[in-house]
Amino acid sequence: MLSLVLDSMGSFCSRQKPYNEADTEENEQDAEIERRIARETKAEQHIHKLLLLGAGESGKSTIFKQIKLLFQTGFDEAELRSYTSVIHANVYQTIKILYDGAKELAQNESDSSKYVVSLDNKDLGEKLSEIGSRLDYPYLTKEITNEIKTLWNDAAIQETYARGNILQVPDCAQYFMENLERLSEADYVPTKEDVLYARVRTTGVVEIQFSPVGESRKSGEVYRLYDVGGQRNERRKWIHLFEGVTAVIFCAAISEYDQMLFEDETKNRMMETKELFDWVLKQSCFENTSFMLFLNKFDIFEKKVQKVPLNICEWFRDYQPMASGKQEVEHAYEFVKKKFEELYFQSTKPERVDRVFKIYRTTALDQKLVKKTFKLVDETLRRRNLIEAGLL
Amino acid sequence: MPQYQQPPSWRLEGGGQILDLETAVKDGILGGGAGGCGLGSATCEKVDLKKMIEELEPVEDVPSVFICPISLEPMVDPVTLCTGQTYERFNILKWLSMGHLTCPTTMQELWDDAVTPNRTLHQLIHAWFSQRYLRFKKRSEDVQGRAAELLETLKKVKGQARVQALKELQKMAVDHSSVQKTVADYGGVALLTSLLGPFTSHAVGSEAIGILVNLSLDSEAKVNLMQPAKISLVVDMLNEGTIDTKINCTRLIEMLMGEKDFRSEIVSSLSLLAGLMRLAKDRRHPNGTWTGLSLLKTICSHERVRGLIVSVGAVSQLVELLPNLSPECLELALHILDDLSTIPEGRVALKDCPRTIPNAVRLLMRVSESCTQYALSILWAVCKLAPDECASLAVEAGLAAKLLLVIQSGCSPELKQRSAELLKLCSLNYTATLFISKCKLTRTIQ
Repeated sequence: MLSLVLDSMGSFCSRQKPYNEADTEENEQDAEIERRIARETKAEQHIHKLLLLGAGESGKSTIFKQIKLLFQTGFDEAELRSYTSVIHANVYQTIKILYDGAKELAQNESDSSKYVVSLDNKDLGEKLSEIGSRLDYPYLTKEITNEIKTLWNDAAIQETYARGNILQVPDCAQYFMENLERLSEADYVPTKEDVLYARVRTTGVVEIQFSPVGESRKSGEVYRLYDVGGQRNERRKWIHLFEGVTAVIFCAAISEYDQMLFEDETKNRMMETKELFDWVLKQSCFENTSFMLFLNKFDIFEKKVQKVPLNICEWFRDYQPMASGKQEVEHAYEFVKKKFEELYFQSTKPERVDRVFKIYRTTALDQKLVKKTFKLVDETLRRRNLIEAGLL
Repeated sequence: MPQYQQPPSWRLEGGGQILDLETAVKDGILGGGAGGCGLGSATCEKVDLKKMIEELEPVEDVPSVFICPISLEPMVDPVTLCTGQTYERFNILKWLSMGHLTCPTTMQELWDDAVTPNRTLHQLIHAWFSQRYLRFKKRSEDVQGRAAELLETLKKVKGQARVQALKELQKMAVDHSSVQKTVADYGGVALLTSLLGPFTSHAVGSEAIGILVNLSLDSEAKVNLMQPAKISLVVDMLNEGTIDTKINCTRLIEMLMGEKDFRSEIVSSLSLLAGLMRLAKDRRHPNGTWTGLSLLKTICSHERVRGLIVSVGAVSQLVELLPNLSPECLELALHILDDLSTIPEGRVALKDCPRTIPNAVRLLMRVSESCTQYALSILWAVCKLAPDECASLAVEAGLAAKLLLVIQSGCSPELKQRSAELLKLCSLNYTATLFISKCKLTRTIQ
């Protein structure tokens, strides 16, 4: 009886064997997948999430490009070439904005005569304006380039450019106009600088992962940087990125105190940045997030502040100029910095005051400066890490 | 102040450490001359000896036989009494001139008031100190040479090498006061200041500050350091550094504030004020608390910054801190709160904080007269602002009894006058009998 059972047990087992084997294999695979998930989750925790936030045209994407150039392999020729159409588009857009702007100013301003384009250039203007309104721009030929150049040099257009703050003239305008010849070469390949100046409104989210290289070796920290669109309609996409952020790099273009929003020409850009920064600071998910405030476009600010008083902006209305020249620039900058500092402390609950908050003066187009600035950001985040781990 | 620290196990009456023969011979004290002046002129040797002792201060392990029992300091001109005990001439003459006719250590009556110069002992002391002095000078030169080297290095290197050089220089500056002079002579102050800027890393900045804070900075250096970019860096390090860095940064700012042309905008930084409050609140480091409060008090003396201090929530934080502070810190904290009570926002903040009145009342007549003065002033400000609300709270907290104590105490007349006025103010809402019951002293003792 027993042997029967034993025998049948044996055959029972052997019949089961293929199933068991299959099971074990599956189990093996499951286990392997589990292990991989565990490994990757662990690895993820060592990746520091950095978020680039800010209003439209504050310089987020330029910083993003700089990081790519500094810590990744940079742009290869194919990528550089891909920017050609963008750059040409920028040229067309700029000249159109200026020409249309001139017409508007000629109608509405009291000293309208200086905005009236000379008769010779009027036809050019109309033609270029028409091209600029198309969806597809033609390639920048030598012929068109000369026409654009002529129009750019028209006195009325220059006067209009001087009033650029009330129009939506992009910051890259002067740079591209001065380099028109180069841009229209037949075999034109954009330089790194050209790419940094190229202006495209970011939509959606872009990310890169990188490891900043230390002095003699890689520092071991891995960062993942996210770039977003800054215009109002893009901001609803931000919220999806807000979890688990190590640091927010908030870009504020301090040269914009006399400009209006692209998406709402009645709103002053600096006021928009102020409200946006306030909103970001109050987000509950950023309770322990470090805040790096990049006061960007210092190069433009430097020149502007000596001609256009800061108190044009409501937020800065209590500004009192002290000296002139370089000292004035420094004084103005310190004033703006204090305003942002004030805003930070007003918007931050007392319990949260311990999070890291640092202000940096940047010019996103300057690679050396961005590198130095990022080294400091990296040091701060690494120290923060050590302090939180109780090692400092 | 005698710097010589005698180990607790040594006693002057016998059983002290004896300068043993072996050491004396080995160190060449007994054999071989100490050089300098000859045996005869004690005065010449005395001057040298005095100078050496001064420069070597504080010296450890001076043999106890060299120490005067009266002043506990090494003897420069030892003289012996008839009892055989040796003292410093100046001290024992002073003792005798006060009319004492006994030997200070043995308490024996003196049968002979003559003092005999103890030349042997003098020679030994001189030799011992000379040896130490020579060694010290040699070491000092080495250290100074190394410091000069480091300064040269700092002009050239960057990155980690720079941090290392700074670390070494800082350690040397702390250990040897001669290094401070070397650094100053070789243009070290300007060099270190030039290292500080908007792109200075924390590692470099904290070391540089650590050195600068131990040097004496002249006017030019201070003005240089007051540039906004450098101050921003110091404030950042104050917020992010280790406790030592925080203290160094705080001390440095305090040094700058002493400068004649100091403008209050330099310290009108919310980050600085928030950072100082954080330092003051840190219970783990009491010396940090004191340093932070000290600077806050100095800053508070500039009226224009007071509003900012209130806006970072300093009032409630300081009030909450009061029960846990040491007496020195307490005086600082109360001084700050008193200054803040002079502005409307400060008064409102004090009133709104529920612990102001109980804590202030508790501190009256408890620590020192100045603390009482400040606490009283604060209570005045609060009660004046909202008499109905605050007076009753104060009385409930036992204010009346305390004020009576002040009035009856040996405090200054102004203080008593104010106490009487405050008492009057608080009593307005009470009937006489009820108020008297509130004044029962037993309540205070509770």
